[in-house]
Amino acid sequence: MDRTSSILKIFTRKLFSFILLYGCYLISHGHLSPGGGFQGGVVFGSAIILLGLVEGVKLTEKRFREDSLSLTKNVGMLVFIFLGFVGIFLGYYFLSDFLPRGEVGTVPSAGLILLLNLTIGFMVGTGIAVIFYRIVRHKA
Amino acid sequence: MINGVSIGIIVVLIGIYGILTKRNLIKMVMALYIMNSGVILLFISIGYVAGGEAAIFESGKKLMVDPLPQAVMLTSLVIGLGITALALALVIKIYDEYGTLNASRILEDK
Amino acid sequence: MSRIYAATLLLILAFFLFSAVKLDYGQLRGGVSEYYIARGVAETGALNMVTAIYLNYRVYDTLGEATVFFASALGVFMLLRKNTGPAGRQEEGESDG
Repeated sequence: MDRTSSILKIFTRKLFSFILLYGCYLISHGHLSPGGGFQGGVVFGSAIILLGLVEGVKLTEKRFREDSLSLTKNVGMLVFIFLGFVGIFLGYYFLSDFLPRGEVGTVPSAGLILLLNLTIGFMVGTGIAVIFYRIVRHKA
Repeated sequence: MINGVSIGIIVVLIGIYGILTKRNLIKMVMALYIMNSGVILLFISIGYVAGGEAAIFESGKKLMVDPLPQAVMLTSLVIGLGITALALALVIKIYDEYGTLNASRILEDK
Repeated sequence: MSRIYAATLLLILAFFLFSAVKLDYGQLRGGVSEYYIARGVAETGALNMVTAIYLNYRVYDTLGEATVFFASALGVFMLLRKNTGPAGRQEEGESDG
């Protein structure tokens, strides 16, 4: 798309940070209201895809570089496995719930669920953005 | 009667019709994804309880819908996304190699 | 195959499917879901029952699913490289692997 209308560009630039914030809210409040790691991660990835469709992939690549996104996806998978092994180091089983509970209804109240939600959210979000970059920038 | 189970079965059958009849590769990938959505709808509607509410605890004890099929189908949704992404990447490579997207012409080309 | 054959096959399949899925729709199902609803908040501390199931009682399936998603993202990443194919072509002369 060479000539996008200016209404689309202005609205997307203003709305982009709110969509990212909404994605982070869905990820972190996954155990109190509908949402969770996968849902918030897809919203997070969709914000980057929207910016890439309106502004052009070259400009979006300068801000959200493909190497950093790919590194976040790989490190996220390793962090998931590492969180499982911490349970073995402390004497319980693999992926056990070793953190103490807080009071019911607040954010840090559910043990390992919050950390796993954050890891999964970032992994899925950056994974979807990397798939989008690869498919769009492919030359025959 | 019209409930989630019959609509889910009808959507699966539409997807099977799409794979059997169409010859364009991208339409076949779309029919695969329609079948995935139909199976997910079928399994989630099996766990419905008449008069129940959503499976999130608020004050007061009420009748709740079955949360176990929903948790399992969440996993299945993300796996379907991964399968469709990989299938579309394979379709792009096939188009680079053969120059056409027609399945019968690709099969008689070798 | 042609459309008439596909439609006939689908009608036979629909007859079998609709007569096999004759559950009682909307009844209360006991078993494991009763245990999860009765003791979910006390054991896990999460208010959302679906999150408590797929991140506490069945977290091993979530690990497998994260692996499948990671593998598919890796597959797309390696199929669609910039200049050469996944194995490199012989005229280029480079052996990236």
